[in-house]
Amino acid sequence: MEKIVTRHFGQENSHHLINYLKDNGYQAARKAITQMTPAQVIDEVKKSNLRGLGGAGFPTGTKWSFIPQANPKPKYLVINGDEGEPGTFKDKYIFEQDPHALLEGIIVTCYAINSHKAYVYIRGEYIKSMENLQGAIDEAYRAGFLGKGIFGTGFDIEVVIHPGAGAYICGEETALLESLEGKKGFPRLKPPFPAVVGLFGCPTVINNVETISCVPPIINKGAEWFAKLGCEKNGGNRLFCVSGHVNKPGVYELPNGTTLREIIYEHAGGIPNGRKLKAVIPGGISAPILTPDQIDVKMDFDSLKAIGSMAGSGGIIVMDDTTDMVWAAMVAARFFAHESCGQCSPCREGSGWVYRNVKRIYEGLAKDHDLNNLPGIVNNIGGNTICAFGDAVSMSVGSYVAKFRSEFEAKIKGHVCQT
Amino acid sequence: MEYKQEFDKITSRYEVKTAALLPLLHFVQEKEGLVTPEAEGKIAEYLGMPVVHVHEVVSFYHLFHQKRKGKCHLSVCQTTACALHGAEGIIEHIQKRLNIRPGETTPDGKFSLSVVECLGACELAPMMQSNKEYKGFLSKKKIDELIDQNN
Amino acid sequence: MPNVSIDGKQIEVPAGTTIIQAADKLGINIPRYCYHPALPVSGNCRICMVEVEKQPKLQIACYTPVADGMVVKTGSPKVLEVRKTVLEFLLVNHPVDCPVCDQAGECKLQDYYMEHGQYDSRLSNVKVKKDKKAFSIGSTVMLDQERCILCTRCVRFADNISKTSEFGVFNRGDHSQLDVYPGKQLDNNYSGNVVDICPVGALTDKDFRFKCRVWYLSQTKSVCPGCSMGCNITVEWDKMRPHQHKKARVMRLKPRHNPEVNDYWICDKGRYNYHFIDDNRIQHPQFKDEIISWDKAVDTIVTALQQAQNTNSTNRIGVLVSAQLTNEDLFVIRKFFKETLRGAQVDFKAAQKSGDSDDFLMKADKNPNTAGAVKILQADGDAEQILQKAKQGEIDLLYVFGHDLVKLYGKEAVSQIAQKVKLLVYQGSNVNETCSYAHLNLPSSVYAEKEGTFTNCQQKVQRIWPAFLPLAESKGDWEIISLISTKLGAPFAYKNSQEIFKDIAVAIPAFSEMTYEKIADQGMILKA
Repeated sequence: MEKIVTRHFGQENSHHLINYLKDNGYQAARKAITQMTPAQVIDEVKKSNLRGLGGAGFPTGTKWSFIPQANPKPKYLVINGDEGEPGTFKDKYIFEQDPHALLEGIIVTCYAINSHKAYVYIRGEYIKSMENLQGAIDEAYRAGFLGKGIFGTGFDIEVVIHPGAGAYICGEETALLESLEGKKGFPRLKPPFPAVVGLFGCPTVINNVETISCVPPIINKGAEWFAKLGCEKNGGNRLFCVSGHVNKPGVYELPNGTTLREIIYEHAGGIPNGRKLKAVIPGGISAPILTPDQIDVKMDFDSLKAIGSMAGSGGIIVMDDTTDMVWAAMVAARFFAHESCGQCSPCREGSGWVYRNVKRIYEGLAKDHDLNNLPGIVNNIGGNTICAFGDAVSMSVGSYVAKFRSEFEAKIKGHVCQT
Repeated sequence: MEYKQEFDKITSRYEVKTAALLPLLHFVQEKEGLVTPEAEGKIAEYLGMPVVHVHEVVSFYHLFHQKRKGKCHLSVCQTTACALHGAEGIIEHIQKRLNIRPGETTPDGKFSLSVVECLGACELAPMMQSNKEYKGFLSKKKIDELIDQNN
Repeated sequence: MPNVSIDGKQIEVPAGTTIIQAADKLGINIPRYCYHPALPVSGNCRICMVEVEKQPKLQIACYTPVADGMVVKTGSPKVLEVRKTVLEFLLVNHPVDCPVCDQAGECKLQDYYMEHGQYDSRLSNVKVKKDKKAFSIGSTVMLDQERCILCTRCVRFADNISKTSEFGVFNRGDHSQLDVYPGKQLDNNYSGNVVDICPVGALTDKDFRFKCRVWYLSQTKSVCPGCSMGCNITVEWDKMRPHQHKKARVMRLKPRHNPEVNDYWICDKGRYNYHFIDDNRIQHPQFKDEIISWDKAVDTIVTALQQAQNTNSTNRIGVLVSAQLTNEDLFVIRKFFKETLRGAQVDFKAAQKSGDSDDFLMKADKNPNTAGAVKILQADGDAEQILQKAKQGEIDLLYVFGHDLVKLYGKEAVSQIAQKVKLLVYQGSNVNETCSYAHLNLPSSVYAEKEGTFTNCQQKVQRIWPAFLPLAESKGDWEIISLISTKLGAPFAYKNSQEIFKDIAVAIPAFSEMTYEKIADQGMILKA
């Protein structure tokens, strides 16, 4: 299988310009800016079936085409490097080991949407990522790949790193914009969407790190090539992050459409200590949990949606049969309670309430009616909130209760889950 | 004003001045070890925004501290992947060794313990961030070594 | 202009109108916490969600603009279910403080729960505790963080209306807390307004704290007499339980909505300046130290007036009128002293009462009816001159309406005047130092006991209504003059203030064609 995003990973000093240049570095940017029109670039990305790899899976080329070029305001590109979805750690590797790939993708994207300023929002804890990307940015400026009139054309581009400060909700597009603008990460009411009113009130494209890193290869080798690599409607490879009860946790670049079974057993080395699979989160903590009978699903956006879950951020967390699912639900509910921004009432009060409810059940303090009420309470959050965080709480925590009901019931009757 | 040059440099990267708030707060915290009300006031004045909204930002983002942390600040992840790999035990062990609870600092100012959510390093579970460094595959032994090194 | 149907009712509204605004125009009340017509939209409470045909998800009415042909349902089963849901979430951590909370009876949690909630509690946990309960955040407002539903109305008020930015919401999730900036107090000119807009008992008024349950309150429309802005108010009073409040009737003032005058707001000075309505009133006519009857009081004045008429010395009558009086009071006073008596010197500008002003509602002119006094009194006298003459013994009868001369001119001057003038009459509502120098004190009623009109600095004539009868033996200002005039043999035909106003409309061109009906409760601007 041809490696795209991870092609430089593991090489010594892969983050330095001198090494990036050895492998067609910045050729795609040069080609796009000197030989293509912005419209042609967008078209190419559309044809590649590249979809947003931060979690939403929105067709990237289509997103870029929403920018109203007639609008006289400056356009912005914002790279979402907040990587906070539990189970996800791929963008960290791109930042640390191939920052120039990201920068080159940024240049092409900015050209396509007529933007001259890109902000890279990196979560505040990713110190090494910021250091390595800043180093790459400095190198790129010195080499003339960033700044005024790059590649001898009139195209100017600036790139600035903006640090986050420890809030998962800032991974949500509009909360990220708020954070970038110097405020609390409160998601905005929509519409208008960022393509029309985004950063500083201007048309803005927000894309994930991995998504943009796919762009230079698409320009170099063509949309058709990329589209063929994946599956229908979901082109290219994807970085799957595998963690939890597996022998070889890590980042695995595989085609979109690879089955979950293959990822867990063939690539991540299967489950240690001879234990059996009990449950698996397929796409970050927000994705409804899957049971062992579901792991033949193809890991692409549409297939996962069809079985009631989501491809999300590609964060796969494997749980073996020692796992207490009520405990796992509590860990998830606790995460959501801690990360709720608190802006709207259903999520603010609901996420805390759900966590305390599940905790009671786990601690054996709950009664029948507590468990019977739980699904209703959980379901009431999603669909009534300003952003998808509320939906995530409902879908995620709700899936544990739905699929492992007996374990919840056992806690009510006072039995301890046998490990 | 103290820090004016640095503030100017940071702010010059943004089209709108107030967007520099988060990096300015990071800068001040890096210099002083915490964000004080004085710093909030200075930043608010510099950016031309009400100080209450600076304080809102400081209280919202958990990387900003209003109390000084110990020389060695341990932030242990408790989310799913790390939890599956025994984060609870790690946290308990640190509590026992340092005799502090999450959110607290040792009286000698050497260690602080925080319990945090996913740090984006699930492949290293169980893991923590020690000051700026990610430390993974933690065990009671590794914790003991780290604490002894920094004691 | 888009045409929208809400619950079967059609309305055409300007483009950009939101569903909740259109519904309000139709008189359909969609529940709301965070939405307030004078504040930027926040959309965080989620209780205003409504069903919009062809949209799969419910939409918040406060933010969604109407589209032509849109069909909205505000009471469908889906909507009612969601309202219950939102209420349940808001009540999860809300302390059931009702028995000790001032908001009870006008609380939107209570109201909407009774209308849309009424579900069985599913709560088994302890509620989240917050730092500040019954905590003073300034001289006029108490904060209870646990009652707060984080609608952020107060934050948006402080940022956009008072522009003082005291409030913020700190932390996140269900540990979010509303507070003022640590160490800062809520002490701007408009602090009290945050209590009005707080839909629950998180922000409560210290002045009103534990004073009276709101269901005992009656409401009467009026206008604040504090300055020439003439902010519209509602006088809220309790007549049922005087034993509870040491006979005080007025419990509080609330601003009344008038988009052209004060919108939804009032300054703190105006809001808390109601105690004088019940406290320290002049209760009976008094001649020197003796309480006398109205008959005797009127006789005393009439005797002096008749003497002036008989000796052709009505020019030795000085009248200091006040711009605190209504148009009707002023009209009758002018008619009496300038037409019936002829020759008296009349002015209303005694040492102009002036004070703080700001660029919002507070005006330097601390009189509610200066514009009316100018048009109606057509005063030709000079207060300073009148007083000078009085000191020199050239005034026999000095009739003072409401001015505290001691405060304005000092004890010595007033003492001198009292000695030189044959009859010094003070007609006013509250006791002050001048009363002890006046020979005759006449108790008049306050604005809250009157029907009449004031004219504000915008030249807007606004009506006031009487909340209750004048206290003790006090009478309306024009009624007192009417008594005197009648005893003098020249009775006025006026039975009520409306009849006076009819005459004003005829006699004063600026008021022409105005009627009480047209003025209604939002006012009418004078003709140029």
